[in-house]
Amino acid sequence: MNTNSNTYTVIYSIILVVIVAAVLAFAAMFLKPTQDANVKKDTIGQILTAATVQGEDILATYQQEIEAAILVDIDGNKVGELDITSCEVYDNSALKRQTIAEEKALPVYIFKNGITVVPCYGAGLWGPIWGYVGLEGDLKTIKAVRFDHKGETPGLGAKIADEPSFAEAFIGQQVGEGAVLFEVAKPANRKTEKNGVDAISGATITCQALGKTLNQWFGFYQNYFAKNAASCGHDCADCSGCGHEGEGHAHKGEGHGHKCSDCSDCEEVESDNTVEE
Amino acid sequence: MANFDFKETFLNPIFKGNPISVLVLGICSSLAVTVQLKGAFVMGLSVIIVTGLSSLICSLLRNTIPNRIRIIVQLVVVAMMVILVDQVLKAYAYSVSKTLSVYIGLIITNCIVMGRIEAFALGNKPFASLIDGLGNGVGYAMILVIVAFFRELLGSGTLFGFQVIPQAVYDFGYVNNGLMILPPMALILLGCIIWVQRTIQKDLQEK
Repeated sequence: MNTNSNTYTVIYSIILVVIVAAVLAFAAMFLKPTQDANVKKDTIGQILTAATVQGEDILATYQQEIEAAILVDIDGNKVGELDITSCEVYDNSALKRQTIAEEKALPVYIFKNGITVVPCYGAGLWGPIWGYVGLEGDLKTIKAVRFDHKGETPGLGAKIADEPSFAEAFIGQQVGEGAVLFEVAKPANRKTEKNGVDAISGATITCQALGKTLNQWFGFYQNYFAKNAASCGHDCADCSGCGHEGEGHAHKGEGHGHKCSDCSDCEEVESDNTVEE
Repeated sequence: MANFDFKETFLNPIFKGNPISVLVLGICSSLAVTVQLKGAFVMGLSVIIVTGLSSLICSLLRNTIPNRIRIIVQLVVVAMMVILVDQVLKAYAYSVSKTLSVYIGLIITNCIVMGRIEAFALGNKPFASLIDGLGNGVGYAMILVIVAFFRELLGSGTLFGFQVIPQAVYDFGYVNNGLMILPPMALILLGCIIWVQRTIQKDLQEK
């Protein structure tokens, strides 16, 4: 047979490509459930890192340590709940949908140790970057972070995920107020004082993207943070007077509208009495 | 090749004709994945599988491949093997697959794989080609593991993630060599390996 004729070449390449495509499609379908389980486990592991929770079995630890996994809208109102027993979490495609969705349902993971974990997701240099930020009870101070990426440059942009000192720099930083909520840039280029960390040299675009992503997502959660922050931990002296015990009152402080006489921080709180009648 | 020498075909690419230290192929990935032994080990294993099986498949197809598109056919076969390995790693060794990130996919661009198919598999019987592919993979993996051994030991004080340099040594003022975990040091180590090999095998020295 003449293996150099045009017909033979065309037919040969068609058959080869069809066979290879079939093999790959079969492999992809066959391995998908295992891969998805891995990705989910990895996501939960990242959430646990941000919540400073450690454990051998990731799924069991998550079920044990989580207090509530809720969905909130842009105004900070609870609109739904994630199933804890099946370890339901928002994966990256779900997070991506939230960045463009008009009616948002944003996940909030509240842990028993008082840390609230919120996600972020955005575009990096080569692909998506995402992460989880663990906040203390005041919903302002960062307790721990865990970032990850699809394919940032190894040794440069990839450091947002694998450079321990970068993640450590976030600890104790605060989510700001107003136009700039958080910055990832060198100090001279920052507009705020306490709401940012240094960028990684050589990874300018990834770091700018990370700053932008964090800003965007902290913006989404701003109303939730304002409503649910436990301002000082002191019992509010006015509390017995107001008579609205119950759901709206679960968190002390700002959501309340009353000022706490023991705590100077609370003086700044505006009295917006949002408690349901 | 009628008188196919099993031992020679397998061992030649490991020592005398090592793809990295003699042919100087596949340098790129050997700089990137040798920070830790575990990564180097899995990368080496993946390359062994890819070189072995793609050589086998191409050798089986060698009499049917139209000459004008033979490089494309080789590329399709190699790409298929690499994607399969990548998918399997993602399913059963997720953490390693994350550390190796893009480098598993980049096995496609590793000159060793295509080089062996073009130079050996297209002219030899399937079994000989499989052995040649495996041998080249092993030769590549061996250098990777040697480099990774020194880089992890001196750069992080660990082997396979386990601490091997005792804390007492650090208390005396020993510090890990930060340069070891950066790619340039892999190149220098590779240079040393090539130097050692050429000192032993004098016939490799250029006049």
